[in-house]
Parts: sequence; C-alpha cells; structure tokens
Amino acid sequence: MKFSESPLLSLRLSVGRARLVLILLLAAFAAMLVRALMLQGLDDERLRLRGEARKSGLERIAAHRGRIVDRHGTLLAASTPARAIGAYPEEARLTPAQLRELAASLAMPVPEVSRRLAEDSRFVLLKRQVAPKVADELLALKLPGLKSDVEYRRYYPAAEVAAHVVGFTDVDDRGQEGVELSFEKDLSGQPGSTRVLRDGRRRIVEHIERLRSPRDGEDVQLALDGKLQYLAYTHLRQAVEDNRARAGAVVVLDVDTGEILALANLPSYNPNDRQGLSGEQLRNRALTDTFEPGSTLKPMTIALALETGRVQPDTPIQTAPGRLTIGNATISDAHPHGLLSVAEVIQKSSNVGAAKIAEKLSPEEMWSMFVALGFGRPPGLGFPGEAGGRVRPFARWRPIEQATMSYGHGIAVSLTQLAHAYLVFARDGDLLPLSLLRRDAGSATGRQVFSPATARAVRAMLEMAVLPGGTAPKAQIPGFRVAGKTGTAHKLENGVYARRYVSSFVGFAPVSRPRLIVAVMIDEPSAGKHYGGDVAAPVFARIMEDSLRARGVAPDAAVQPPVQVVTTRPSGGRL
Amino acid sequence: MTAVTDRTTGNRFRHHGARALSARGRLLAPPARPLRELDPWLIWPAVTLLLVGLVMVYSASVATAEGRAVTGFQPGYFALRHALYLALGVVAGTVAFQLPMTAWQRLAPWAFICACVLLVLVLIPVIGREINGARRWLAIGPLQLQPSEFMKLAVVLYAASYTARKLAVMGSFKRGFLPMASVMLVVGFLLLREPDFGAFVVIVCIAMGILFLGGINARLYFLLTVALAVGFVLLILISPYRRDRVLFFVDPFQDELGKGYQLAHALYAFSRGEWFGVGLGASMEKLFYLPEAHTDFLLAVIGEELGFAGVAAIIVLFAILTQRAFAIARQSISLERIFGGLVAYGVGIWLGIQGMFNIGVNLGVLPTKGLTLPLMSYGGSGILANCLALALLFRVDYENRQLMSGGSK
Repeated sequence: MKFSESPLLSLRLSVGRARLVLILLLAAFAAMLVRALMLQGLDDERLRLRGEARKSGLERIAAHRGRIVDRHGTLLAASTPARAIGAYPEEARLTPAQLRELAASLAMPVPEVSRRLAEDSRFVLLKRQVAPKVADELLALKLPGLKSDVEYRRYYPAAEVAAHVVGFTDVDDRGQEGVELSFEKDLSGQPGSTRVLRDGRRRIVEHIERLRSPRDGEDVQLALDGKLQYLAYTHLRQAVEDNRARAGAVVVLDVDTGEILALANLPSYNPNDRQGLSGEQLRNRALTDTFEPGSTLKPMTIALALETGRVQPDTPIQTAPGRLTIGNATISDAHPHGLLSVAEVIQKSSNVGAAKIAEKLSPEEMWSMFVALGFGRPPGLGFPGEAGGRVRPFARWRPIEQATMSYGHGIAVSLTQLAHAYLVFARDGDLLPLSLLRRDAGSATGRQVFSPATARAVRAMLEMAVLPGGTAPKAQIPGFRVAGKTGTAHKLENGVYARRYVSSFVGFAPVSRPRLIVAVMIDEPSAGKHYGGDVAAPVFARIMEDSLRARGVAPDAAVQPPVQVVTTRPSGGRL
Repeated sequence: MTAVTDRTTGNRFRHHGARALSARGRLLAPPARPLRELDPWLIWPAVTLLLVGLVMVYSASVATAEGRAVTGFQPGYFALRHALYLALGVVAGTVAFQLPMTAWQRLAPWAFICACVLLVLVLIPVIGREINGARRWLAIGPLQLQPSEFMKLAVVLYAASYTARKLAVMGSFKRGFLPMASVMLVVGFLLLREPDFGAFVVIVCIAMGILFLGGINARLYFLLTVALAVGFVLLILISPYRRDRVLFFVDPFQDELGKGYQLAHALYAFSRGEWFGVGLGASMEKLFYLPEAHTDFLLAVIGEELGFAGVAAIIVLFAILTQRAFAIARQSISLERIFGGLVAYGVGIWLGIQGMFNIGVNLGVLPTKGLTLPLMSYGGSGILANCLALALLFRVDYENRQLMSGGSK
C-alpha cells in the first residue's frame, strides 16, 4: 500500500478538514445570530412600523341615521339595526344540507348561494339588510365561514303615502331621493373610526384605538301632517283610478305659515320594497314636473289689472262671440259668454275675457308679477330636482303670447309653485316662502305682491267660481265657504296642443279666514271627463273637507243645500 | 481538589487507551461516569428543539387549521399529527438505537436502494401526490410519505459506508469519486424532477461533506466544488421560478404583494418580535399573512412570539447539536470506527446545513428554497427521519463509550 493511499493519512486529514467544516458551520450560525440581532434587537423600527401598517387599518363605526318625523312627531323614516351576511368562500365548505339551510334562512335560491360561495374571492357578501333575528338564528347554526356585520335598515312606516316627500336611502344608508337626500347632511351624522389590526383575511383581530366617536345624525321634523298626507294620498288615488288618469298630484299648504302640510303623487311606490321600481313611480310630479297651468293663472292677470287700476271688479268686458283674433291666431272660449264683468271672467273662466284684460297690461308688468309670485325659478326647498318652470323674458313676448299667458298657456309651472302663488289670495296679498320643515306661525315674513284690497277682491271672485254659475260647483264643501279656480290645459306634445289634458284645481278655505290651500292636478284623465271642474274640483273638495275637519277648523257657513245658494246670488246667472 | 485530580488522571488513562484525542476533544468529552449511555449535550438540546418545535407548530398552525376546510376546522389538526409523528419518531429511534453500527453498515446500500425506489415511485402520477405544483409526497392510505426526507438519511448511511469501504482509494478520481458522483447524479435528477431543490442541495452537501471528511483528494475536491457551484447557479438561472426566488430574496419589498410576499412577512414577524417577542400565541403574521408558518417559516413565528431571545436560543441549540455530532464523529474515527464516525459527520452536516439554510431563509439572507427547520417544523417524514438520524448519533456515541470504558474492540 502506497503511503498516499494509507487510510491513516485520510484519518489525519479528516481531523483538520472536520475542524474546518465545523468552524464554517459555526461561523454561519454566528452570522445568523448577528443577522437576527440586527433584525430584532437593533433595528431602526422602520421595518416593524411598515409591517404594522400592513396589518392595521381604519374601521368605520356607523353613525345612527336621524329619524324623519312629521309635525306631530309621527315616524316617517327610522333606522333599525340589521345585519349584512357574508362568507369566506375558502372556509365555507358546506354540506348540501347546510347549504339548503343557509339558502332557506336568507330566502335565496340554493344555486345562487352555492354560486356565490364558489367565487374565487376572499370574502363574498351574501345578503344585506337581514333582520337581526334571522341573522342570529343563522349564526346559531354555526356554519363555517359565515360572517355577520351590523348595519342599519331604513324603515318607512308611511310606505307609499309619503314616499315622494320622504324619499329613501340606499343600502349604504345614503340618501337617494326626497328629504333623505336633501337633508342628507343633517340626517347622516358623522361616522366614527377606530384603528384595528386585521389578519391576513382582513378580519379584525384587535381594536387598537378609537380615533373618532360617531356622531349620530339629527332628526328632521317636517311640516308634513301625517293625517293630511294620508287623506290627500287616498283621495288622489281614488280620483286617479276613477278618471283612469296617467298620474296625479296634490299639494296642501298652511296659509298661516307657508308650510307644506301634504304633498302626494301618483303613481307612487313603497320605499320599503323597491324592487322593480320604474321612473314613473319615482317622479315627484308636484315638485319636479311643470305643466301649462291654464285657467288657474287667470286670477293673477285680473289681480294685476285691479292692482294697477286698469279695471274694477264690475268693469264690463265684451267676450262675444267667444273668439278673439290677435295677429293671425284666434283664441276662443269653451262656451261663448257675451258681456261679462271682470268678476264673471273668473267665474266663467273666459279666455277671451282674460286676454282682453291683459291687453290693458304691459308685458313687463305681467312678467314682473309672475316673477314676484315665484314662477320661473325653483321654490328653494332644497328638494332634489325641484322645477322652476318657464317664464319667457317679456322683451320677446308677441301680443298673442301675452294674451295666452293671461290664461295660463305659454308658461310652465309646477303644482307646488301654483299652490304657493295662491297664498297671495288666501292671505292679504303677501307671499310667504314655502317650507318643507315645521315652522311656527309668524316666524316667516312675506313679500307684499298685491294690496290687501286686491287680494280680497280676487278672493271674492274665486269664491264665485265655486258657487253655482261658476266653473267648479263640485268644489263646494258643506259648512265651509270655499274659493278656487279650475284649470284645464291642453298638453303640449312636440310643440302642438294635443287632445290630452291636465285638469287642475287650486283653492282655499274657509274664505272668511283662509287656513288651507289645496292644489290638485290630474294628468290625462281618460274616463270621459277632462274639465278641471269635473275632474280636479271634486278631489279638492274631498281633501279640503277632510283636512279642515282633521285640523279642527270651525265651519264659516251654514250647512245649506247648494240650491239655496243660487237664489241668494241672482247676479251669478247661469248660462 | 482530590476529586478533580482523580478525574483528570482517570481521563488521561482512558485517553491513552483511546489513542490520540485532541485537547479540544478531551475538554468536550463527557465526564467519567461509567456506562452513561446518552450524552447530555446531545440529548437535552435535541429534546428541547423537538418539544419547542411541537409547541410552536401548534401555535403557528392553530389559526390556519381552524380556518381551513381541509383540516376540518380543527385547531389542533397539525399539532396532533405532529405529536403523533414525534411519538412514532421516538419509538422508531429507540428501535434504531438497538441496532449496532455494523448492522447499519450492512443495511446502508439496501436503505439507499429503498430510498431510490421511493423517489422513483413519487414521480409516478397515480402514486405521487402533487401539492402546489410539486410532486413530493407518496400517499399510503391516510399517511403521506416524503421520500426526499428519508433519502437524506439514506445518503448519510450510503456515503458513509461507501467512503469507509473505499478509504484507500479516496485519492483517486476514477475509483474514489466517480462512482459516488454518478449515483448522486441519478438521485439529483430524481429530486429535481419532483422538483425539490432544497432536498437536492442538502443531499449533495451531505454526500460531498462525507467524501471530503473521508479524505478525498483536496485539489479534486476544490475543482468539484467550483463545478458544483456553477451547476447550482445554472440550475437557478434556467428555472424562472427559482430565479425569481433568488432575485426577490434580495429585496422582498420590491414586489411585496407578489413574489416577495412570504419573505416580507417573515421579516415583519422578526421585527415585530424585537428582544423578547410578543408572547407565545400572539403572533399576527401567522394569522393568514405568512404562508407555511408551521413548516418552512416556523422560525419567523418563533422570532415574533419569543423574540430575539427565542431565535438566539434555537440557533445556539443547533450549533451545539452540530458541534456534538462532529465531536462524536471525531471520537469514533479516532477509535478507528470509520463508518460510525462518517455517519455522525453526515448527521452533523445534515442538521447543521439544513438548520442553517432554513434559518438563513427565514432571516432573509438566503433565497427561499423550501427547506424545513430540522427537528422543529411540521412534517411527519421529516420528524421521523430526524429522529432516526439522532438515534444513529446516539448509537455511535454509545459504542464510543463502550469502547472507552474498557469494552473490547
């Protein structure tokens, strides 16, 4: 055996080599020790803070949304606790029986639930706005991977009756329509936040510190009177059904304060169950839709003529032969009337009469009056989509346009604007601003548009319009003196007047000391009748009568059959 | 004073009988107590690592076990299995300890062939289970076997028996090195087919280490190391997935939500632990942030929960184990028990290298390569193979003592 191949040599070599290998290994371990020391003991905190930042986050603490109540404190919208049920698909491996149980308690189809649970995502939301009781029962089943979060569900006790005023919120508790939207800032409050540590599945492990406490939203008290709202809505619904109308709207105002006591639209919807909702149902027509008001605007023209001394209530106006040609256009009355007093122009609702009176007025005067009454600009209630209507600049009025405007054509207003304008006749010529919120009497001051004498004169004419011989005897209410004006306007379709109508009636009662204004609009009545006096006036009467009683207003007239009234007013005449 | 003198003389007397032992070896040699079978510097670090490993596997896995359907949402799923494998490992180790090293030497080629067969089987689609794109597990009923772990043990035995047999020709390239190299090529090929790059590196280190310590030609060895290093670099470069791992280990925060995710969160865990940790069970990273918290990245959880103190203790215990394995090996070789000595070296290299790699990966100084922390990480085959390796170490040490305490050779 050669020396170089001797096992003894290998052995001796291996002692040195073993020492080398061992030293290298121990040196490596020592290096690890140093590395750990640098990383853990002697680090500059940056890495630790960066890791901390990966895991910590802000969690919202939902603020309780304020309630919406009517003037008596009755609930119109309130938040109740609800649960959002979600699942971690990776964990939620359910047996078919468990899956059925889950689907049943969430009222969802089984395939839908299993499809959601099969999603390739860390977390899926299964259903929101689940009743707490249902959620608690579901969690008691202890199915794996389910999660329940606290949220709020908005509940609307008045349902479709006050839907357009109150509006609704979305699932995230943000106002979408109506008061819920326009008073969002007051109602929503301020959500709080807390710093939390989350695990790798984004679940909260620990609450570190509360950064801000939530501030609950404030309650909003509306001027709305729940009882009146209900009356207005039910009578309107009946009328829309009876007349097979496309739509309808009602506005009830408090004459003393300018508050909106009721505002109803049809078609309506149930804000508690908004599935399959259409745009038609959502429209708050009384505020957002404008229409040509027609004859309901005649009292304004007359009032201006009286105010400026161009006519007196008994000034005769020749309306025969029921037609009037201005330029190359001709306007006409539904029934020819002959010689009428100014008061009778209102009573009989003569277009020719109104146009002849308007000839005595300058376009600027009329325009200023319309603007002073609030036409042409939104009423400023803070409501989403309030319409301002249309009043064209007077400089470009042609004579025929001024004539048609005198009886409410060529001008567009919303029902709310119209009701508002009638405040000047119900009051002594001053116009209070409208209010959606409750307001104490005397807290708002109005602007004088007409003198008290003019207002009273027009009020008397408007009372005549309701009496026999007027256009709207159906607006009468036993026991109360009523004043008001009908309107029947052709609808403009593509710039052409179609054989479709908007029937309206605006009036107030009791005439001796007006308390309420009720404005009714029925869109496209199609059951044979279309005159405001036949379609809108009866609705007005029902709503006004019930509302006066509900508010405890004392009657100001003897309860007498209408027939006797005729004999007391021979000048009224019948034609 | 008398007692001390007595012990010194006693030692000297025995050392004389055991021929030359270095001064260092003398110092580390166990105090003279007849028939003390187990080295306390070996048994206590090993037991500590195994038990701390069990506790930390439970702590690191409790959240993922509870939150996953595959574990049936049982929080103790991994801990229970780990404990069972540990018990199995202790039983298997006790049995293995009964076998004399001569028997192991005879068994070595067969053990190696068995391990090779298992490595082939794992590549067969029906038998081998594929998890996360790697075919590393054999499913035998409810049990899962990871052949590469047993291959590590088999390589220790085989390389030791090979070197012991060819001690005289270790200087020769053709007769000493080439046969072993070709065998390793086959094993390496099988391991890279799975792929299990980590096991491949460890196994090559074990085999090369044993050859080196067995006296292979130094110049040849140097050339080989260079060749191997070039080979490793090439292997890393040709596989995009390995290349990414190496690149993103350099700066995990470059793609923190993607490829650097695991390492970034391991580093967060360490830094969150600071000196003494956030407390047992309080790790945040184990809560679905750090993947493989109970296997490859167990040390990160230890670092977070027990702090630098815990990590340092683990590193020191691994260093002690490695040092003891080398001391036992040297003693065995000095007693001319070549096979036992080389086995002890092999076990030392195995535990040392794999431990060092895993710790380095966790601390972000080495690229991630899918290696567990020996004796601690979750994994039945790994724990079982580690226990058997320890049993061999104890056996070598036991036979050394038998010899030194006057037993006949």
